[in-house]
Amino acid sequence: MHYVIVGNGVAGITAAFTLRQRDRHARITVIGGESDYFFSRTALMYAYMDRLTLRDMEPFERKTYAQRSIALVRGWAVDLDAARRLLRLATGQELLYDKLLLATGSVPHRAPWPGLDAVREGLVHFVSLEHLAECERLTPSTRQAVVAGGGLIGLELVECLRHHGVEVDFLVRESWYWPVALAAEEGAMIAEHVRAHGVRIHCGHQVSAATADQAGRISAVTTAAGLRLPCQMLGVCIGVRPAVDWLRKVTTPPAIGRGVETGDSFQTSLPGVYAAGDCAEFVRPDGSRLLEQIWYSAKRQGEQAAAAMLGDAVAYRPPLFFNSAKFFDIEYTTVGDAAMLSRDGVRTFYHRLPGRNASIRMVERHGAVTGFNMLGSRWDHTLLERWIDERKPMDEAMRHLHLAQFDGEFGRARLDGARAAYFQNPPECRR
Amino acid sequence: MTKRGTAQRILHDVKNRGLTAWLLSAILTAFYLVLYFTGLLDAPARAIGLDGKWTLYGLLYTLAVACGGVWVSFKYRHNRYQILRTAVVVFIQSTFAFSIPQLLKFFQQPEYYFSYFWPLKLEYLTPSYIFALPLPYVLYSFVGSLLLAPLLALVFGKRWYCSWVCGCGGLANTFGEPWRHLSNKSGAAWKFEQLAIHTVLGVALALTALLFVSWGFGNGNPQLARAAAQFQFFYGLVVASLLSGVVGVGLYPLGGTRLWCRFFCPMAAMLGLVQKLGRFRIAVKKNMCISCGLCSKYCEMGIDVRAYAQAGTSFTRASCVGCGLCAEVCPRGVLRLENRGALVRIQGH
Repeated sequence: MHYVIVGNGVAGITAAFTLRQRDRHARITVIGGESDYFFSRTALMYAYMDRLTLRDMEPFERKTYAQRSIALVRGWAVDLDAARRLLRLATGQELLYDKLLLATGSVPHRAPWPGLDAVREGLVHFVSLEHLAECERLTPSTRQAVVAGGGLIGLELVECLRHHGVEVDFLVRESWYWPVALAAEEGAMIAEHVRAHGVRIHCGHQVSAATADQAGRISAVTTAAGLRLPCQMLGVCIGVRPAVDWLRKVTTPPAIGRGVETGDSFQTSLPGVYAAGDCAEFVRPDGSRLLEQIWYSAKRQGEQAAAAMLGDAVAYRPPLFFNSAKFFDIEYTTVGDAAMLSRDGVRTFYHRLPGRNASIRMVERHGAVTGFNMLGSRWDHTLLERWIDERKPMDEAMRHLHLAQFDGEFGRARLDGARAAYFQNPPECRR
Repeated sequence: MTKRGTAQRILHDVKNRGLTAWLLSAILTAFYLVLYFTGLLDAPARAIGLDGKWTLYGLLYTLAVACGGVWVSFKYRHNRYQILRTAVVVFIQSTFAFSIPQLLKFFQQPEYYFSYFWPLKLEYLTPSYIFALPLPYVLYSFVGSLLLAPLLALVFGKRWYCSWVCGCGGLANTFGEPWRHLSNKSGAAWKFEQLAIHTVLGVALALTALLFVSWGFGNGNPQLARAAAQFQFFYGLVVASLLSGVVGVGLYPLGGTRLWCRFFCPMAAMLGLVQKLGRFRIAVKKNMCISCGLCSKYCEMGIDVRAYAQAGTSFTRASCVGCGLCAEVCPRGVLRLENRGALVRIQGH
């Protein structure tokens, strides 16, 4: 049995390790185009800020792969022939597989703005090693930068640029930072914190055009509201999409929607070909679609796709949503659904904790707690998840909230103020 | 990527085994060689009114801990564990490990360091030395070394000593802060660590036993007494001088700050074994790790913390000194130091 995995990111490598754990004798080959070894993409920003070397970003010692008899091949896959079970790399190398896993991840959305044709230098993304190298190459000659895109990666890039003393204008298209995940209060707190780090954050602004100087380097960005921002770097962080373009041109293309279409068991439309991670788009019998593009989901999917490849009856269902982030110094933990505050029957409680850049938010719907958004202090998400699963009322969650705290010794956030506020003035139900 | 500017480039160089790091390491090593094996530092010590090179060394050491402590407290000012720990370490160094012994000397008392215990300071259970002291010192030494230190390690982990009290740890966590990330994280280094540190512990135990035997029966057996004395001299030279001083501090800029504590300190070895049985652990939040590697990188003991974090397994490692930096640098709040490992093990969750 020869398992071939295209992509040495977290989904691909997790799948390879899971396969090896369960099958001691199979041949396992992992193809990676971006790097020789699996690295943690989430750590790109720490390399940019000199807190880690590229080698530090590798989660496993290099000898681990040989010890587990996992063959690593450097190269980009360019052709797939499912009839002959053959994969061809850009180098010309051909591999015959018995089962193939596509775990090619994401690529950034390209900027659609007019004027970018003339820009030959200064436009950057921030999701790959290549992007990191480009950012590092441009940083020394950059005094001002504009970062467009009010999400996580945008803010990571902003933090890195500030670290290197670059003046940054941060454009957030929406009326507050990251409305997909944060309510207005939290968005405002993050904006205030980001400003304290010397960032000019412009909410409600989006790029309308870009201008280049005579050498082709970006020189300014104009926003739809008429702001003209001079810059030598433009960071485009407006989301990612599955890296599936190459699959449209192969001998036997799989069914592709936004990503490689798969059933619940990670099987694509091609026999013996599976997909997992950012590039996989689940299509359910009822027609609903699911595309998960975060670190945790990729790891989870890699593990379960491997089980499916080994013949287990897998029906992938994502667990209750959770995620984490860090906005400069403010840590963020979210569990469940805590951003959709405008629906019927929703009660929400928000409290800014005194003495630190921290807040808690709990959301309840029809008498059961559905989500938590916690900023600036640490929380055991597993307990919060359990409360949501158990459909605990918000009152009870508030009473037991201290049990879910995960702050370090001597540093526990005080909840008595939040509790007093909650019970003196209980949040009202939205109708 | 290094920040702009010459100062930043030099800072990067000295923190990352550049030329300046080698230079600094050479200077530190030379300083220790001169200190241990020559009398050259006696003259400058007397010139500033001190009674000899060792008092000068104590003064410099305390200054390094204090200045580094101020810097570290500022750097981690949002973290109360770090602030408290640093304050305690600086306090202990400047009192128990410096001014109190000087005062004792002044009042014609033995120069006793209440912050050190056997087997780190082997003299404190060396019968010919300790039984020559007044009874309170003898009691303190025996109770402290054999009862108090292990008992506290059982409850709080070895960190109570290695990161909150000990001068070696104190210097590493203050003055040594810029080099903490240089510790070797490989599996091979871990194997060497287990071999080396337990060997030193074994030798320290054997030597202590021999010194007791020689103290008891040495009078009628000059050969035994001579052998014990030679063994003691050899241990003092290799372990106390070369490994703890020259290697331990001299190689800060090249090998990281806890070389002595990790590979050679018999006290750390002993407390580490106790720690494995005790309550201390690093709790790991399940499924939340992003494998960035900051925890492993900034672990001064070279523990590959990320391996546990990404697997979602709480753990207790014998070498962990509980400095708390892994939890501090973790951008996702995955790690927490706890004193409830044994409870959790028994209850099974």
